[in-house]
Amino acid sequence: MHLKQILKKNRGPFIKKWFQATIDTYPEQTAKILGKDSNRFDNPVGAVTRETIEGVFSLITEDFSQETLEKALDPVIRIRAVQAFSASDAVSFVFTLKKIGENILDDSLIGEFDKIVDKIALAAFNKFMKCKEEIFLLKATESKRRIHRAFERAGLVAELSEDDLVSSKKS
Amino acid sequence: MSDQIKPDELLNKIDYGPKKKSEPGNWMNTSVQIRPGMYCYAAKAESVKTLSLPNARPWNPLEDDWKLPDNWQEIIFQGLKERLEKFRTFKVFMDICVRCGACADKCHFFLGTGDPKNMPVLRAELLRSVYRNDFSTAGKILSKIPGGKALAGARPMTMDVLKEWWYYFFQCTECRRCSVFCPYGIDTAEITIMAREIFNLLGLNIDWIATPVSNCFQTGNHLGIQPHAFKDMLDFFVEDIEDVTGVNCAPNFQKKGADILFITPSGDVFADPGTYTCQGYLILFQYLKEKYGLDVTWSTYASEGGNFGFFTSHETMKRLNAKMYAEAKRLGVKWILGGECGHMWRVIHQYMDTMNGPADFLEEPVNPITGTKFENARSTKMVHIVEFTADLIKHGKLELDKSRNSNRIMTFHDSCNPARGMGILDEPRYVIENVCDNFYEMPPNTIREQTFCCGSGAGLNAGENMELRMAGALPRANALKYVHEKFGVNTLGTICAIDRAALSTLCEYWVPDVEVYGIHELVGNALILPGEKNRTEDLRFEPLPGVEEEESDE
Repeated sequence: MHLKQILKKNRGPFIKKWFQATIDTYPEQTAKILGKDSNRFDNPVGAVTRETIEGVFSLITEDFSQETLEKALDPVIRIRAVQAFSASDAVSFVFTLKKIGENILDDSLIGEFDKIVDKIALAAFNKFMKCKEEIFLLKATESKRRIHRAFERAGLVAELSEDDLVSSKKS
Repeated sequence: MSDQIKPDELLNKIDYGPKKKSEPGNWMNTSVQIRPGMYCYAAKAESVKTLSLPNARPWNPLEDDWKLPDNWQEIIFQGLKERLEKFRTFKVFMDICVRCGACADKCHFFLGTGDPKNMPVLRAELLRSVYRNDFSTAGKILSKIPGGKALAGARPMTMDVLKEWWYYFFQCTECRRCSVFCPYGIDTAEITIMAREIFNLLGLNIDWIATPVSNCFQTGNHLGIQPHAFKDMLDFFVEDIEDVTGVNCAPNFQKKGADILFITPSGDVFADPGTYTCQGYLILFQYLKEKYGLDVTWSTYASEGGNFGFFTSHETMKRLNAKMYAEAKRLGVKWILGGECGHMWRVIHQYMDTMNGPADFLEEPVNPITGTKFENARSTKMVHIVEFTADLIKHGKLELDKSRNSNRIMTFHDSCNPARGMGILDEPRYVIENVCDNFYEMPPNTIREQTFCCGSGAGLNAGENMELRMAGALPRANALKYVHEKFGVNTLGTICAIDRAALSTLCEYWVPDVEVYGIHELVGNALILPGEKNRTEDLRFEPLPGVEEEESDE
């Protein structure tokens, strides 16, 4: 049977195990709370992690590109980029899929599956860097943009315009 | 929740930090790692000196040596002792927590960072463990038994403990969401407040609090803007409003004998998008002057409604709060009207009366246009502008064209302090529904008393702690994203100056298509000023709904 069909067939166990492996990257007490199937507004990280994992898994059983993978991974990476993870820890949850794959898939399909996991990992790392860049940009421009614009309008400063200051974001 | 976290689990089984099984350890013995992006820079020595607060010196939280006085442990002990004797609530809150865990997953910082020490119960336990060691009788008796300290959950005050306090008590915005869920009503914010008072005894404030406090004490507002620049900014707004409406809305400054003194956070005067809210106030006051002869004055001396003294110590809060009342007395106004602000209202509503009150030289606030008595402000003599405007609308005193805001698909963020601190829940919604066509609530467990904090309050809206702010903002952003995707919400309304700044950044990172508006910006757009021209633009100089199409048709 084709790999994608087998993945579709085993969707339930894959998602359950991948979700558990992902929240296990948090401290134990936190993982307990994140794992609860509670209201998605009371448990945002747990809910977003679950939804993202489901979304990414659906995507790899269809046609996907680097771009669609990054988009699907965005919600969970966006969260992990502001938490106490190193870059490697932030994307490590993707690699747990390999171990899950080994336990579920036939040996003949492991190589092909691992290649998909590598693609997810690369997309995750791209997304992580983009989120970090956004954070640095917010740090660099936030106060300037707010205060500077008001002062500039009042003619109290005559330096770079507000557009100049944030143009790096647009380019 | 109580079935999730058992006391012994909390105390002994926390595997702290990014999952490393090699050193499980006990939470009480773990030394803190102060991580860039999560902490704010240390207070500048000169800012600490301005207020004659102790131990002003340059220091860096990342360095081992915090340059503390030799007797720092004694200072902490005496500081705690004094506060336990002076503040009954603090003493009670130290003793009565049964560690049921109901608060554990209610904190936006815990939910966002995933750090167990941000569970309110455990954050408070950082301090309680020292309290038990040094002050509680049971703790003292148990300490004489082998293993008794662990049994009592007690530990001595060490440099590691102090650093951990500092790191985590500056990861609390004093929003009090956890206290809503506490069966004993423990206000964890008060524990944070006490911890920060202790830090100030050692000169351990953060600069985003200390320098605004110093500025406010010297110049009158957090940004340190001098009176002429304050006036220049308002004059500039007057020009902008005249361009949009054709009406001159020039305010009074320091006008003796005016009916009302108006005080707003300086963020409304100097920081976008609060500046548009400020223009809304000016439009409203012009309308009331023209229609009803109401005489409102601003003051360039009492030019700050906010009070970062609240995040420093009760004495500092009192010193900054006093100037507003001194100015009201000097000008001989009847009462004070306050702008859209957050913590300003917790200070006024919950502390002012016993700090500087009663303000018996002012009159009990009555809206002269509607006759409504603001009985909640009987003692403080200070009324929230949203209550005031809601009252005017309720009595049909404002002529509003809500179609001018019809491109705004609104939701409302309850700011922690007005919502949980003084119960302003319905007034802003009432105003929004009268100036806008489209309003959708975020899910019920994220609004009103259960509102999620912006993640940047209580002095944490600095730039260097951006990761912390964005993590803390996550639960709010998650609910906002939901209404954005479900109802097409494009505007987040709020009545707090810190929120206007913090939520704008939150939106940029989490929900980029949503803009932040103060409620009085929307009022300013909708209000039909006597003698106004045919308006084609809103206060942001964007075309009014319908106008863009008309122009392109021509």
